[in-house]
Amino acid sequence: MKPDIDLAREAASGKEAAFEALVRRHQGTIRGMTRRLARHAAEADDVAQAAFLTAWRKIGSYRGGSFKSWLCTIAYREFLQARRKQKPEVEFDESAHIITFDTSASCLAEHLDLDRALKTLPENQRICVVLCVASGLSHSEAVAATGFPLGTVKSHVNRGVAALRKQLAAEDVA
Amino acid sequence: MQTEEKYDDLTALFAAQDETLQSEAFVDRVMQPIQKRARWRGPLLFGAGGLGVGAALSQMGGLLEALNVRAANLSVSFDQVQTLSFDMMSTDTLWLAAMLIVVASCAAIVVTERA
Repeated sequence: MKPDIDLAREAASGKEAAFEALVRRHQGTIRGMTRRLARHAAEADDVAQAAFLTAWRKIGSYRGGSFKSWLCTIAYREFLQARRKQKPEVEFDESAHIITFDTSASCLAEHLDLDRALKTLPENQRICVVLCVASGLSHSEAVAATGFPLGTVKSHVNRGVAALRKQLAAEDVA
Repeated sequence: MQTEEKYDDLTALFAAQDETLQSEAFVDRVMQPIQKRARWRGPLLFGAGGLGVGAALSQMGGLLEALNVRAANLSVSFDQVQTLSFDMMSTDTLWLAAMLIVVASCAAIVVTERA
């Protein structure tokens, strides 16, 4: 399997197949991240698609390091942009195209618990948990993406993780 | 790094969730606009470049003729060389050079740029 940096270099020289391989490799992380940040799955997939298209346009500016972190930072900015454009009075379009996924019943229950627990966190805490815990960004990468001070990111992550564990443990007991 | 290792259990749960989101439909959704743009880009730029080449080639006859005339006159007087050079620069040569630059630029864009 080719490393991300080699695929990114090939994509920067115009090879669409290399970029397609990167999309295939990182779609789970990016779609998962946007679904945890956005309100609805359709909206999340729009943000994820916009993030990949931006990444394609800007791939020449990728200078090494973790490609996943670079992509997550783009996705987070796309999410912020999409949220700014959103009008609060617009209702969610139930007929919007959602790409479905298969999963077993036990796995689904576990995912629902995790999603439910995540949704109870205050927004900034949730953002830090999503970036650092779910997407694997380092604290300093999360600082660069969000603009929050390092201490704030660390404290949000620690509190968020503690709250998530508490919630999940409570749901296990129940 | 120490603090990040403290939540490996949760990271694993999130990663398992992300695994279920693998979808070829999503890959197609991302790649379609990229491929669509790329399909038009080559023909469009090479078409424009081809027009440039055509225009430049159409000037070649006149340019060679002018060179022949100037070459005959060159032997008349060495003092006239500078004047003749400026004459040539201001006519066909400049036109030809401009066309070649346009064509080279189009080719460079097609080869190096993405969407």
